[in-house]
Amino acid sequence: MQILIQSIEKSFKKQKVLENIDFTIESGHIFCLLGASGSGKTTLLRIIMGALKADSGSVTIDDLSVPDRRLLSLIGYMPQNDALYEELTVWENLKFFAGLHKMPRADFLKAAQALLSMTEMTDYQQKLIRNCSGGMKKRVSLMVALMHHPKLLLLDEPTVGVDPVLRRKIWQHLNSLKDGGATILVTTHVMDEVYQCDDAGLIRNGRIVALDTVKNLIASTQNSNIEELFFTNPTKDEVPAC
Amino acid sequence: MLSIIKRILSQIKNDKRSLGLLLFAPLLVITLLYFILDDSSYVPKIAVFDINEQLVTGLDENAELTILDELPVDDNYLETNNLDALFYTDTDGLKLLMLEQNSKSTAALKAITDAVANLQKNSPNQIETSYVYETDSENLLDSMSYVILGVISFFFVFILSGMSFVRERFGQTLERMLTTPISRVDVIAGYTIGYGILAALQSVVIILYSAYVLSIHIEGSVGLSILVMILMAFSAVSIGALVSIFANNELQLVQFIPVVVNPQIFFSGLIPIDTIPFGLGNLCYFAPIYYGCTALQKIMIQGKGLAEIWPWLLGSFAYILILFSINVLALKKYRSI
Repeated sequence: MQILIQSIEKSFKKQKVLENIDFTIESGHIFCLLGASGSGKTTLLRIIMGALKADSGSVTIDDLSVPDRRLLSLIGYMPQNDALYEELTVWENLKFFAGLHKMPRADFLKAAQALLSMTEMTDYQQKLIRNCSGGMKKRVSLMVALMHHPKLLLLDEPTVGVDPVLRRKIWQHLNSLKDGGATILVTTHVMDEVYQCDDAGLIRNGRIVALDTVKNLIASTQNSNIEELFFTNPTKDEVPAC
Repeated sequence: MLSIIKRILSQIKNDKRSLGLLLFAPLLVITLLYFILDDSSYVPKIAVFDINEQLVTGLDENAELTILDELPVDDNYLETNNLDALFYTDTDGLKLLMLEQNSKSTAALKAITDAVANLQKNSPNQIETSYVYETDSENLLDSMSYVILGVISFFFVFILSGMSFVRERFGQTLERMLTTPISRVDVIAGYTIGYGILAALQSVVIILYSAYVLSIHIEGSVGLSILVMILMAFSAVSIGALVSIFANNELQLVQFIPVVVNPQIFFSGLIPIDTIPFGLGNLCYFAPIYYGCTALQKIMIQGKGLAEIWPWLLGSFAYILILFSINVLALKKYRSI
């Protein structure tokens, strides 16, 4: 699914959070939104999803203008905080969200078991979320986002608090979803995750400061460290062409 | 919608303490009130002057008597001697003076009227009753049971639904729920019904316990009382959800409790609506508890049936529908479609 983001502006009270955001995420790509906390990543993600209304500008996903209810079943959203029900078990959480997507039971059982084994949570499926560690909650939250086979994934810092081995496994899974045709938008402030993506946008103080394929971005730095672009492109007014 | 109902029930199933609080805390409070307000075993202290000897003997069985030789003139006599009533005869007939209307004076009055009635089965003498501190209200105890049941049930359900909705907003599970294709109507309906089921369960437990364990007198039908309580509980769920919109965290919701629940108590029938000045009594129509408690009063005290109480049931129902629509609209804040 192609995401077309056109001149998005957003302010909270008087503070400008997003300014003149303009880019396109190509269908079947993994796009990474990189930026420090407070740079506007989450706000942008919520606008793309339709949970938040932009002050101006528009988001179009495959010719459907956001918000559109037809899009909701196609999107898998993983918020930054876990947004799970503490008093429910891992399994009950999965079941609840599957129910909201009206997944058939057989389909749900298959998807849930596959995801549980992918995230190494099979042994903990009867554990209450309240008793889960931060990393476990993160994994459950990811499962909830992936369960209904979405065509577009919006993941807000999906691997924070997840150990490196599992992180690699999750990225392998995301890559296999991409091969299956899914479009994925990930936010992160961890640099090494950027290398897993096709394209990246660097966001700083609500503006996109660099935007290109990851390959080109790396090539444009002196020591292959994308982080440097935050310093070489200090909040310029014009957005670099894609 | 069914998913939400199931989820709410599993949530409470996994949280045994909340379930226990929901079901048993009201019983505890009601039991406590029952014993506090229970005065049947109290022996009133009555001073008598110039009363027929037979009557005194009869009265002696139910009261602690002080026989006086002369009529005290001091207004503070009852208070200074720690007595509940002064029963005497003067030129006009039998007179009874009591301190004020409370459970003690009720007990004294009952002892005396019983004794008089026993003595003069055919033509009971008129007793002129007066109070040192006069109040016009009717006896509180007689009319309180429905207020207590209504208010307690409302209170617990309001907290439960309000809190969980605040947590749902705060923990962003609500936002996440709204990223799925579920409709806003389904969210609120699932919520109302899910917590409504719990609230209904609570209502059944409260009424059955009050009627059969505490033997609180219910003149009319127990089933009908349960129905009224359930309707009231549903409105409490909706009002909890509504108030949670204005609360950004749990603390603020708790701060809303006195604002929302106290006025409900005023309009629950504790104070006769038509005596409230400046037409403020009309505000009762905004208090969901007014409909429930009035219906309960008619059933439990006056023994009325469905034919007489339907306007209040309808009021309750309309109230739930209005709150439902407001809550559905309020969800637009999270998803405009």
